[in-house]
Amino acid sequence: MQKVRLAVLGCGAVAQINHLPAISASERAEAVVLVDSDPGRARAMAERFGVPETATDYREVLDRIDAAVVALPNSLHAPVAVDLLRRGISVLVEKPMALTAGECDEMIAAAEAGGATLAVGLDFRFFGATRWVKDFLAEGLLGELRGFDLRQGVIPRWPFATGYLLRKETAGGGVLADFGVHVLDLLLVWLGDWASVDYRDDAEGGIESDCDLLLRMRSGVKGVVEVSRTRNLRNTCIFEGEHATLEVGIWDPDPTIVLRWGDRDLSLSGHARAEGTPKRTFEDVFVDQIDDFAEAVREGRQPRVSGREGRRSIELIEACYAARQPLELPWSNPPELAAWEAR
Amino acid sequence: MKAPVKAPMKAPMKALVTGASGFIGGRLVERLVRHHGADVRVLVRNPASAARLARFPVTFHLGDVTRSEDLEKAVAGCDVLFHCAYGTTGSQKRRSWVNRVGTERTLEAAHRAGVGRVVYLSTLMVYGQTGDGDLDETAPRRRFGNAYSDSKLDAEKTAVQYSRSGRMPVTILQPTAVYGPYGGVWTIQQIEMLKTGRMILVNGGDGLANAVYVDDLVSAMLLAATQDAAVGEAFLISGPETVTWRELYGRFARMLGDDDRTVSMTPEEALAFYEKRRRETSRFHQEILRTFKQDQGFRDRLMGTRELLALREAASSLLPEGVQERIKGKMSGGGRPSPPAEKGPPIHPLTPQMVGFFAAKTRVRIDKARRLLGYEPAFSLERGMELTEQWARWANLLP
Repeated sequence: MQKVRLAVLGCGAVAQINHLPAISASERAEAVVLVDSDPGRARAMAERFGVPETATDYREVLDRIDAAVVALPNSLHAPVAVDLLRRGISVLVEKPMALTAGECDEMIAAAEAGGATLAVGLDFRFFGATRWVKDFLAEGLLGELRGFDLRQGVIPRWPFATGYLLRKETAGGGVLADFGVHVLDLLLVWLGDWASVDYRDDAEGGIESDCDLLLRMRSGVKGVVEVSRTRNLRNTCIFEGEHATLEVGIWDPDPTIVLRWGDRDLSLSGHARAEGTPKRTFEDVFVDQIDDFAEAVREGRQPRVSGREGRRSIELIEACYAARQPLELPWSNPPELAAWEAR
Repeated sequence: MKAPVKAPMKAPMKALVTGASGFIGGRLVERLVRHHGADVRVLVRNPASAARLARFPVTFHLGDVTRSEDLEKAVAGCDVLFHCAYGTTGSQKRRSWVNRVGTERTLEAAHRAGVGRVVYLSTLMVYGQTGDGDLDETAPRRRFGNAYSDSKLDAEKTAVQYSRSGRMPVTILQPTAVYGPYGGVWTIQQIEMLKTGRMILVNGGDGLANAVYVDDLVSAMLLAATQDAAVGEAFLISGPETVTWRELYGRFARMLGDDDRTVSMTPEEALAFYEKRRRETSRFHQEILRTFKQDQGFRDRLMGTRELLALREAASSLLPEGVQERIKGKMSGGGRPSPPAEKGPPIHPLTPQMVGFFAAKTRVRIDKARRLLGYEPAFSLERGMELTEQWARWANLLP
């Protein structure tokens, strides 16, 4: 079968580290053109990944492509995706899908109008444990769910090509929109829709680097979520059940899963894959994501993470920002400082 | 939780901060924005390390203090430049070069742009190995014998030349051991060392620790930017009291819920231990690599992170192939027997310079800063450490 012809829009870190290697390894898709506002960056990437053509404006290449991977700054996700989808070009858009649920709706409508496929790059859905945890919880194996506690924090060393992620106008938000979108999406997959949220973050005229959520789900279960890009946190989600506790790694394509029975002093740990099968890597995850997208485009079916699925976490993030309260950091503004400044 | 705004500056200042993604520069930016409504520009090399700064409405300039064209763009139109950047990555040679050349190019860019004042962050280390008794700014500057201190001494000399020749009004601050939230050497590093082993207390920790809480240093920097008497002067900046190293490490140990994380040695014993450890160093490195190879869980956690993938990516584009092959070889096979284990947690060796540093009973005087800057430290060690502990707990650094 002929491969789906892709343009990759944006040749920054995620294209370089994740998408282009995955596309090179895919049997279902090929990159035919790389687009970046910096022609030098596009050419360097094209040479490295053997892509025949580069451009500085995606509108020049529409006749040569079936679909596009949109890996542009967050603020461009919706306008560019809408433009492509309306013209019948399918889109795999990097996370966060858009800055608001309203933008997501426009993207979904544009895909329908253009008869194109819209997929969202929430790659954590392709992790080995994601579906396993969903099934495990759905089968009620922990008994009644009493609560959850998710802590995700890493001090990033991501080799950003530009500073777009530092500015509200281009990033849309801080750590919640950047890292948080992944973990909130997982919680929505695992626990169903949310009902209400209390939200605190540390932004003071810019974008947050740390935030806390108290999240209540429609099922009635509630829990805490903490997301940080200044601290290395536990990077797991703990589910407290009536019979046992389940702890699952959340920043790892092949996480360790631990099941504990407190009253029996027993715990089991392992991975959600058949014994003897190789460890799942980010390379595998991105290949699966691009293959799923290419198949969806070819077959006209919905991808694993459709626009409607992608919209769910964006709606929650928007609700968080709307309900924002300041995060209490006692060392940040101690009384001695106020006294010194007022002297 | 808003502080009353009464800025010591007459008008909102336009300030460029170098090293703003670091510990001291980052805290300075917070206070410039929050309390002084300053128009702050920052020069940062890597957006990934600038998350704390992005919380505030600051103007980002991506660039490097060793590149004049980056400095020129960032400094245009500024009244004040705070130079906090220093070499933090690469070889010692590279770091020293950043300290020397970065400072010279920063001062030159400030001069060309007509900046009114540069506050240069130097260090106590420019006095070299200090003796017992009082130390003030009249003491001679001397080489300490390590790359950081010696290159900072050269950079300070450059700052003095700019100031004396009238090319640029510079105020130099020489802080002692700076600690506080997000602190590197004197906070996170000490906590990590106490978590992973034992610290040597030279002579039982009788030597004197001159330490300053980050907010007191930042207050001194704000004063240095505005007090006219500060121009062309250098100031030692320390906290309100001098404590022993035993007390200081006792405070860190308390954070960790355990008092027994030190081992006392005479200077001679500490030097002998350093020599012994140095001979074993190559074997010690082998041991680290062995842990990496043998502990599947550790390796999985490390290898599974996107950051490591990014690092591997960066390494593959930067390192010559021969070096890459050698690293791969070390990570995947071979290895030699490890040195015999010490009883109890491992003892962290001290370099000869640090043995001297910890043994000295130097009392840093801050009278000049009090007199000319109006500096008055507001955070006792107990209070500063209390805030540091609250932060460290939040930062997941404590058990």
